[in-house]
Amino acid sequence: MTQSPTYIGFEEYSEHVPPSIPAAVQQATGRFVSGRAARVAELPQFEQLRQSGSDIRQHTIENMDMYLAQLEEQVKSAGGHVHWAETATDANRIVLQIAKENNVKNVVKSKSMATEEIGLNHFLEKENIQVIETDLGEYIIQLAGTGPSHIIVPAVHLKKEEVAAIFSEKLDMDAPADPIELARIAREILREKFLTAEMGISGGNFLIAETGTLVMVTNEGNGRMCTTMPDLHVAVVGIDKIIPDWESLTVFLKLLARSATGQKLSTYTQFITGPRREEGEFGPKEFHLVLLDNGRSKILQDSVGRDVLKCIRCGACANVCPVYKNVGGFAYGSFISGPIGAILTPQMNGTHNARELPYASTLCGACADVCPVKIPIPTILRHLRRRVAEGDAFALPTIPVPIRATANLASLALAQHWIYRFGALILPKVMSIFKRNGWIPSAPYPLNRWTKSRPLPPFTSHFRRWWKTARPTQGKESTQ
Amino acid sequence: MTNPILENIRRSLTRTPHPTPSLRPDILKPRLPESMDSEVERFLSEVNKLSGKAEKLAQANIHSALQSLVTEQNIRKATVWNTPRLNQLQISTYLSSLGIELISPNSDKHTLAQCHLGITEADYLLPETGTIAIHSSAEKPRAVSLAPRVHLAIVHPEMLRADMHQVFAEAKDSHYLVFITGPSRTADIELTVTLGVHGPKNLYVWMVDK
Repeated sequence: MTQSPTYIGFEEYSEHVPPSIPAAVQQATGRFVSGRAARVAELPQFEQLRQSGSDIRQHTIENMDMYLAQLEEQVKSAGGHVHWAETATDANRIVLQIAKENNVKNVVKSKSMATEEIGLNHFLEKENIQVIETDLGEYIIQLAGTGPSHIIVPAVHLKKEEVAAIFSEKLDMDAPADPIELARIAREILREKFLTAEMGISGGNFLIAETGTLVMVTNEGNGRMCTTMPDLHVAVVGIDKIIPDWESLTVFLKLLARSATGQKLSTYTQFITGPRREEGEFGPKEFHLVLLDNGRSKILQDSVGRDVLKCIRCGACANVCPVYKNVGGFAYGSFISGPIGAILTPQMNGTHNARELPYASTLCGACADVCPVKIPIPTILRHLRRRVAEGDAFALPTIPVPIRATANLASLALAQHWIYRFGALILPKVMSIFKRNGWIPSAPYPLNRWTKSRPLPPFTSHFRRWWKTARPTQGKESTQ
Repeated sequence: MTNPILENIRRSLTRTPHPTPSLRPDILKPRLPESMDSEVERFLSEVNKLSGKAEKLAQANIHSALQSLVTEQNIRKATVWNTPRLNQLQISTYLSSLGIELISPNSDKHTLAQCHLGITEADYLLPETGTIAIHSSAEKPRAVSLAPRVHLAIVHPEMLRADMHQVFAEAKDSHYLVFITGPSRTADIELTVTLGVHGPKNLYVWMVDK
């Protein structure tokens, strides 16, 4: 089967993860998990907050059209501009158009999942507009030319010596391998960029329908810089970020940082309603909000899958995920990784492109236990596995034919006891062909997926025979 | 004018063109304030936990505290909000007398970015998180709390609100609000906590009774 260039080969990618990545990722996730636990322990109403967060997000999704219409009206009456982008290409073109109209050559960017999703940096650079990521971690990986390994700390896989080497090479200097000194160098370089850029681009954590307010949460202050220094601020935000009102926001701000980094609140939370009002106050002369659909309105059709749109992007699900902790962010092949990526990417890019991702999970359920808005991630994973295996109203089955045939055979065998018995009788004999020193070191397809990482123990007996011989007492009791 | 995205959403949700709005679920009640003294203590201790430097200060001691701050932080240029209270406390006048160069808070961004110290008030304080919340206007430019490497906020106990709910009820019609919870921080390189990566490295909060 030929695969399209957009196909995400999770299995293949995860086999090529360098061993340094899981180690670094686990250091980060370990810290965030214990930080979160400490914050949850000191807030007795945390469970009620989660329930409330879940209820409000559910309500918002069900009334998304109304809240978005209200948002548009409010942003406009605050003097801002609203643009609707149906696709990634539309969004990129809108931003480019704004940049061209204002003669923009230099852009400073604060970290944003939405702009990663649409590939905005690459698009603008092709048009000769320089785009600088200003979050320290994002700046490092932009210089390095790699992707993020973790949602909160994107460059966590790089050691300080590697960061120093990247700085030395790309910035033509002799950078020391000291995190504090490296941060100081970045501050100096980026400060100049903030002051000279004509345009700041940001994402947004929430959009408040009630007043048309963009809420942005950052720790470093780069988000504030991007929205304070340049005369032009463009925010690219997914339509799913909408919330009804400020009262709802109290719930999400209390949940977000606690779930993400184990802080009570992130350092800076900005509430931006339109452009600046007075000359001397700083802030942009013009404020543009680009509302990005890019498949979200289609996801809404699926009453099970659409719960993914409740997400507030805290990353807590990834921090507890045994699969994520062992492969890191790259293997998910998308701007969003971890369990939430495993349920979002297949819905956004289609199961034909991302059929492996719903299987990138052990279904242990840890993600659902920590999700601040109670997204039933394992349920959606199973829902998407069914879509991959059998197809549903939204997509045809996409599982490879041999695997589907094997699965059909297995379901037949389990339903017809004589086939099962026959199989149980011959399988130990078949397997003995592959036995070496009491183990099966490499089995034929499709069992080779197991033996690639560890040997398979051969079958030595039948369950039915064992049941009769090994447990005679219990056997008699059960027949009385 | 029809909006294709809103149309798609309505179709996906199988909505009528003018649906009846359902009620937003109830929100948990805000936290109740404790005594004024314990709210003040809680606020100061939260700021300090975040590596800020928060303390109660008598009005009479502001000038001597300023003198130690500028020495300790090696301040040569400063910018101060142009508000009645900061004027009444003679902050700018005193800094000038110490030989500090005063930059107008409404200067252009390049000039303002040269300042080592920015002095502001606050509009609200949140004790639970050690947060100072401030609006923005020509008298209270937002860059003063952001661009200099040292930020000093001179606040008073009446700015305390028990929870975000009260702040939002008062602030939601404003065009800009920022919550500042500790100094600028990052842990992006090997998870080493580093202060002052883009915003101020040092945050001072002085609680001065009116």
